[in-house]
Amino acid sequence: MNRSDPKAKIRGTEAQGEEYILRLFMADNEPNSRQARENLERLQETHLKMPHKKEFVDVLEDFQTALDNNVLVTPCLILDSPLPKVTVFGNLSDTEKVLAALRLT
Amino acid sequence: MAKRTPGKETKNTTTKASELPKVVTGIAGLDDVLYGGFPVGRTTLLNGGPGTGKSIFGMEFLYRGAINDEPGIFVTFEERAEAVRENTLALGWDLAPLEKEGKFFLFGAHVDPQAAISGDFNVKGLLAIVEGKAKSMGARHIVIDALDVLMRVFDNPVRERNELYALHDWLNDHEMTAVLTVKTSAGGDIMSRYEFLDYMADCVIQLDHRAVEQVSTRRLRVIKYRGSDFIHNECPFVITGNGISIIPISAVELRHKALGPKMPTGHPRLDTIMDGGYRRASTILISGTAGTGKTTLANTFVVAACERGEKVLYINFEESQEAMVSGMLSPGIDLRPVLRDGKLRVMTAMPEAMGAEEHLFQALRSIEAFQPDHVVVDAMSSCRRMGTKQADYEYLMRLANACKEKGITVLLTNQTTGFRNEDEITGIDISSMIDTVIILRFVEIGGELNRMLMVLKSRGQNAASQYREYVITDHGIDVLDVYIGGGGVLTGTARQEQEAKEAFEARRKRVEIELREHDIKRKRAEMEAEIARQRAELETAEAELKALQLEEGLVEKGRDIRGKMRGEDANSLRLNKRVPQRKERGTGGKEDTK
Repeated sequence: MNRSDPKAKIRGTEAQGEEYILRLFMADNEPNSRQARENLERLQETHLKMPHKKEFVDVLEDFQTALDNNVLVTPCLILDSPLPKVTVFGNLSDTEKVLAALRLT
Repeated sequence: MAKRTPGKETKNTTTKASELPKVVTGIAGLDDVLYGGFPVGRTTLLNGGPGTGKSIFGMEFLYRGAINDEPGIFVTFEERAEAVRENTLALGWDLAPLEKEGKFFLFGAHVDPQAAISGDFNVKGLLAIVEGKAKSMGARHIVIDALDVLMRVFDNPVRERNELYALHDWLNDHEMTAVLTVKTSAGGDIMSRYEFLDYMADCVIQLDHRAVEQVSTRRLRVIKYRGSDFIHNECPFVITGNGISIIPISAVELRHKALGPKMPTGHPRLDTIMDGGYRRASTILISGTAGTGKTTLANTFVVAACERGEKVLYINFEESQEAMVSGMLSPGIDLRPVLRDGKLRVMTAMPEAMGAEEHLFQALRSIEAFQPDHVVVDAMSSCRRMGTKQADYEYLMRLANACKEKGITVLLTNQTTGFRNEDEITGIDISSMIDTVIILRFVEIGGELNRMLMVLKSRGQNAASQYREYVITDHGIDVLDVYIGGGGVLTGTARQEQEAKEAFEARRKRVEIELREHDIKRKRAEMEAEIARQRAELETAEAELKALQLEEGLVEKGRDIRGKMRGEDANSLRLNKRVPQRKERGTGGKEDTK
């Protein structure tokens, strides 16, 4: 999946289970992206009790993955599993909305 | 019209010395309009409503570049990549091999409309993808199609604007020659939302697609071009099976070439009348009412020319090829051998089927491909049905011009409606372009309808301007001797002058008689009025007299009556008279005074 920069995958992946797979696409140096990452990590502590996998993709490093997933805007959070696939645009500042979108409420 | 090699940067050599580097668009005619092409490393904006051809413009620019080793990226927010590939293939452009070679990248960018939005975001993803691709392909050309669709995700004009500026900055920083397309609504509401793009972009082109009198016309207008001049007029364009073709409208000018040598008309008698025949590279008009034999005369020439080994393109707006071929068999003209030999090519079209621009384009393309020696347009009167009032003029003028430049003979037929069909030739604005006019008409002689032919005007030729009878036989047309009318030889203009003189004289006399009649009528009316007045006066006098007499009679009668009354009961009469008198004076007053 990640041919151009395997580093991004290794860096971002924290295997904690099988079921829940999240991917956050970000542009590394952007304040929005940093916020999104912080917000996602906080959310993970408070709401993601079940085993889950999450991955960070820096679009500037790995445009091919962004292309494959049609990621035009950053930050962008994608819930790959369980289906249906869900996309959330933005820095994830609105916790309620994110939880609703990820079916965690 | 000629397609230049796109993708290569040009020092603007066309006109108006400008140092702005430009890139040839490869779109026929557009480089003429833009005086060289799109600005290199800058942004060009294509505005227009749905279906105006924005995507095709963008696609053709990239395609022409790609086939000339200039890689390009096409990003569309509106269509799936597969649909774009199919549509493009319909224009004869196969993207698949170019994509394989890495010369073309088609990105069907799809913004998930179901996506939840939480907090701020920007288009960095898109830029990262484009940048990555551009680097790997070495692409400098990019088209971003339907940018407005991407912008919808921001749902906020201020953020939209910020993102568009960021995109523009990025394109400039990376020296991308970019074409952005944005949809405008017919009302222009959406336009105002993206109006700032007009200021942001270096070159702005507006596309328009409208129907004028049921015929659709596409037009293009360059609104601005920073640092360069351009053709400011609206330019019509067509989308054909081979891409876009723009025909700058201001290019209609006459470039007359000298007429060529004489050539046979296909009929020896007509050659004699015309002092040798038609002239090559001239424009010949055969004018006449329906059924006078215009097509027959035209095809007489067609067969003769083809049999000499020359090629004829027959543009027929009246009937199908089959109908014409079978129709011509009855006057003994067999078009089948010359069609089979490929000397004659027939192009049939309904005038209403498309706009004049497209008709012109197709005609010019056929001329380019077939390289005919002669072109027949049957009938130019049908060209009026192409749409606007000006359409037929533009079509014929440009077609005739193009043929003149190439030394091609143009034979036009024109169906007139009236009997004085000479008048109708001057009604058409192209008469200056016509070198030879042949009039066909019906003349009624002794209850018989005869066909008459006259060469009315022939530049650079001594043509006998006389009406001649001609007949259509089963072996073609036959021109007879000069028409002998009732009073002797009919000799063209002299006869007409005489006719006119006589007509004038007759009219003058008629008017005079009418005037006299009127005068007498008036005088009689005056007299009668006077009689009536006097009679009335007399009658009044008589009436007055009668009245007087009657009055007198009454007075006398009354006197008699009064006299009788006085004598018989004068007392009672007096009493009767006094009673009302007393009453009138009032009761009180009377009592007091007494």
